[in-house]
Formats: sequence, C-alpha cells, structure tokens
Amino acid sequence: MEEIIQHLTPLLKEISGYIYPNEIELHWSLLVVIYPYLTGLVAGAFILASLVKVFNVEALRPVYRIALLTALAFMLVAPLSLLAHLGHPDRSFEIFLTPNVTSAMAMFGFVYLWYLMAVLFLEIWFDYRRDFIKWGQEGKGLKKWFYKFLSLFSKDVSPKALAFDDKAERVITILGIPSAFLLHGYVGFIFGSVKANPFWSSVLMPIVFLFSAIVSGIALVLLIYMIITPFRYKQIDEKCLDTLASFLFYAMIIDFSLEILDFIHRIYESEESIHILSQLVAGKLFFSLIIVQLIIGMIIPLATIAAVKAFNTPAELKRLLYFLSALLVQVGIFFTRWNVVIGGQLFSKSFRGLTAYKMTFLGIEGLLMSIGMLVLPFLILYVLFKLLPPWKDAPPAAEIPAEAT
Amino acid sequence: MKLPWRNFPEQIRRLIVVWSFLIILPFFIRSLLIPADFGKYGHFRASAVEEAIAKEMKYAGHAICYDCHDEEVESKMVGVHKNVNCEVCHGPAAAHVEDDEIKPRAPRERDSCPLCHEYLSSRPTGFPQIISDSHEPMKACISCHDPHNPRGKEMAKECGGCHAEIASTKSLSKHVNIPCEKCHETPELHKLQPRLHLPGKPSKREFCGGCHDVEADSDIAIPRVELATHEEAYVCWQCHYPHLPEAE
Repeated sequence: MEEIIQHLTPLLKEISGYIYPNEIELHWSLLVVIYPYLTGLVAGAFILASLVKVFNVEALRPVYRIALLTALAFMLVAPLSLLAHLGHPDRSFEIFLTPNVTSAMAMFGFVYLWYLMAVLFLEIWFDYRRDFIKWGQEGKGLKKWFYKFLSLFSKDVSPKALAFDDKAERVITILGIPSAFLLHGYVGFIFGSVKANPFWSSVLMPIVFLFSAIVSGIALVLLIYMIITPFRYKQIDEKCLDTLASFLFYAMIIDFSLEILDFIHRIYESEESIHILSQLVAGKLFFSLIIVQLIIGMIIPLATIAAVKAFNTPAELKRLLYFLSALLVQVGIFFTRWNVVIGGQLFSKSFRGLTAYKMTFLGIEGLLMSIGMLVLPFLILYVLFKLLPPWKDAPPAAEIPAEAT
Repeated sequence: MKLPWRNFPEQIRRLIVVWSFLIILPFFIRSLLIPADFGKYGHFRASAVEEAIAKEMKYAGHAICYDCHDEEVESKMVGVHKNVNCEVCHGPAAAHVEDDEIKPRAPRERDSCPLCHEYLSSRPTGFPQIISDSHEPMKACISCHDPHNPRGKEMAKECGGCHAEIASTKSLSKHVNIPCEKCHETPELHKLQPRLHLPGKPSKREFCGGCHDVEADSDIAIPRVELATHEEAYVCWQCHYPHLPEAE
C-alpha cells in the first residue's frame, strides 16, 4: 500500500481539472502498449509474405521467408506481454478449457491459436518441407534427427509433391490473409468496442489498427532485410527493396487517410467528449501524437519515400533514406499504440479533467520488462534464422558459417 | 479395395496424424481437468454452490439484533443511519448471537467513522464529511456524535462549527459582536437538516438602516448613510459584504 501511495503521490501534481478517485492509476500500462505493437508486426509481416504467394509479387521473393519467420518470432512473444500484465500465467490456459463465448478477449485466444497453428506453422512447414528433408539427409547427429522430426519424417520430394506443397501454401496464404486481418482487426475491435471510452469507441478502430499493422510489418521486414544482408556478405536486391518501399508507401497512404478520416469525423461529429479530447491532444499527447506519430512517424517518412521515388536518387543515398524512413515508421507506429492505449486512459470519464501516467523502470509492468519484450523476438528470430536459414541460396544447414546471420 | 487414405499426398497423411493428435490431445486434457459438474447450472462448478453453502456463517443479519438491543435499534430506526446495518460497524456477529460471551467489536476510536465520513470529492453533495486531521483531532467521534442516531455536532454550539470561513472573516470585522441570528433568521432544524431548512437573510434596506441610517437610534461611532437617497434600488448586501464591511 505504502508503495502504491509513493508511486501515485507525485502524479497528483500533474492532474488537471476533476477526475474520479479511481482514475489516478492507469490500469492498462506499457505492456498493453507492447502487445498491439507486436501483434501488428506479426499481421503486417504476414500480409507482406502473402503478396508473394497470393499476388505473385516476384520482386519480394527474397524477403518471403524472412517475413514468415519474423511473423512467427513476434507471434511467440506477443502474448507474453499480456501474460506478464495480467499475472497468473498459470491460469491463462483456462480460457481454452472453459471458453466464454460472450467475451471478445476470451475468444481472441482462439483467433490467436488458429493463426499460430493453422496459418503460420503450416505455411512455414510447407515452405520448408523440402529443405527439412534435405537438411535431414545431409546433417549429422542430433541435427539430422531434429530436421527429420521437423519434416515429420516426410521423404517425398517428387515434383508432384513439391507442386502440392506450393499449392497448399497458396491455399493457406489465402486463408491466412483474412486470418491476419482478423488477428489485428480483433485487437482494434477490443479497443473500438469499449463504448464508455470516446477516444477508443469507433468502428474505424479495427481497420485503422490493421493498416497501421501492415505499415509496421513491412517497415520491420525492410529493416531486418537491410541489416542482415550485409552481414551475409550479400548484395541487397535493389528491386526487392524498391518494391518493399513502394508497398510501405501505399500502406502508409491508406493508414494516413484513415487516421485523418477518423480525426475529421470526430471533429465534425463533435460529441460531448470533443472538448476534453482536444485538450488531451493539444496538451498531454501533443508530443507523442502530433510530433512523433504524425510528423516524425508519418509525414517525414512519406515525404522521404516520395522524394526518393520522384527524383533519381543514388543507390547509396536511397538505401540510407529507406532505412531511416522505415526506422521512423517503427517509432511512429509504436507511438500510435502508445497514444491509443495510454492516451485513451489519460482523460477522466467525467470529461472534466486529465490524469497522468508514470512509467516505472523495474517491476513487472516496468520499462525494463517492456524492453525485454521488444528484444526477445529478435533473439528468437536469430535462433530461427540459424535453424531455418530463410535464404534460398543457403548452404546446407551443417555448413552455415557462424557469421551467416 | 484401395483405401482413400493412400490417395492423399504423403505430407498430408503425416500432417493429418500430427494434427489429429494436436486436436484430440487438448480435448483429452480438457476432459481430465474440467470438473464433472462444470456447466450444470451455468459457467461454473455446480458443487461450488454446495461449498459456498457449507461455509461457516459469520454474519447474523440485522434483524436478529432487534431481539435484544431494542434501545439502540429504536434510536437507529429514526435517524439517518437507519439503512446502515449493525454489522457494518460492529463486524460479523453470528458468533455473538450463539454465545453472549463473545462480544462483537464496538468502534470507539476515530478509525471507523472516517471510512464513510472523511472528505472525498466524489461523495454525494450534502453527505456529511469532515477532514479528520482538523476536525477535533484529539476526540473520539462518539464523544460528540451518537453513532446510532447521529445529528451533526450535537446542536452545533456555534455557527462557525460548519461556516468556519465566514466565522473567521467575521471575527476580524466591526460586526464581530453581532450574533449571526440577528441577521440570519435560522430555523432550529437547520442544524439537523441544513439543506432542507435554510436560514434567511435581510431582504429590506431598512434592516441595515436600523443602525446605519442617519436617523437611527444607535451608537454614535457607527457609519451613517442617507438611506432614502443612497443607491435606493439595491439591498445593502448587494454592494457591502456584511461579514467584513469596508466602511469605517
């Protein structure tokens, strides 16, 4: 109790206007910001992969597997932030045992499970099956059995079987697109259906979440591709990079338009909450929403990519600008999640005052934990790249040089 | 006869085996972990109801108190605490009902009443609230208030008990020796139900004129005005603050 009081007392000075007594403490903290950010990256990376399989965008072939593994690595970590936030991870499986069909949050567990098991795992399995068999034959000792196990001891690499793999992948990807939409749309749905909170309650929320997810996923794969390729002593495929940047640009245009539409719609509708929301946006959220999310995370990268495309930019400069733009987009999307989750709790339900959020450094809801949650997917991705080298030109697994990833 | 199973591609056959296992396994685990009576009445274990019923009763309910404690109950039933059940303050009393030797708690210090009466901006308007640090900090609540039938500070001895700010302002003014009731006609019930029985205030200029008119029969040192011509459209207190009048 003493600890909570010590934590909350300094916040009293930052409160303005009137708030209800229980509004001084924000219940959805930094970890709940991390969660939609991570799931967004998963959905975005998968949608990017689907461009190759379903829409036959051949230029993106070099990043197809990178995108799939990225989606998997982030998918495995995303629920950890929720488990840490809720506490009692030992009870979490009960939502599967005794499902509550009227709870959007509980049903989301099944969406998540479906996406992980029926979409990501299967698609990766079909794509890697041939390699698993090959690595299983060429490997030695434990590694040999590891890959044999991963291939489920399958042996058939006849052209007919491989053609079937390809077809299966295509079907799964076609199923996967609505699933990825569902996955991240659902996160938006959970916020959008909180009718007591006018900052969240909007039917546009799922779709805004979805497009910001696609933006963040493409930007992340672009960053990962640009970072690991030089480490492999390979040339970055310029055509692939250009296509990635183009899709990033298109997705950002849609995302930007939707956010502006939401903004204009709120202003035109001018519901009773508009006064407190405009106070919020002009005050406590000014830096994170206007400066970081809108200007740094959206307008500057959009303008940069547009300029690169419009002018004949030298390859070196172009790469640098793409890289910086994708980095800014990541920062911007992270703050999009921040502004929704934290921003949506900063105003009183009385519409008469603003509260404050104080982040802790240590502790289960602290900054350190959140940084851990953001770093962990990259460690998992590193292991995945080691175990399942995503490059088609990769040597057999046993001979991958140490610096290959 | 050729089994259709053989027609499936090899990888699909393997996946079917693994997936059947992955799908059946959770159902198997579920059947082990879910209590047999789950869902009989609703989304909970039916036997949880029996378990709840079997728990030891701690509270006796307020009705039974009336059997012995007539005096307190009668006093409580006519006061503002009539809907506050006995056990809210006295704690669970089932054991006391069984055995008279076991006494329920009787809060005599300052720790209980502020749970409801400490000042909190979200409490309803008019709900009696105090700031316990400055409200008679050395005294127990029951030394002034009867908890079974509380009535504010027992017939507030002075108006300053509630109107502290006005009282301290008035203590510095020329009007310090004029009792509040001289200007504010105050029904006796105001002290019990302040919002239902509001005190009055002077509505005629002649009231102040009783002392301040040039013609008035009052102390020579009191400032005077020509009541008939001095801002005749207004009542005095619309311009002069009577608790701290500025005129010398």
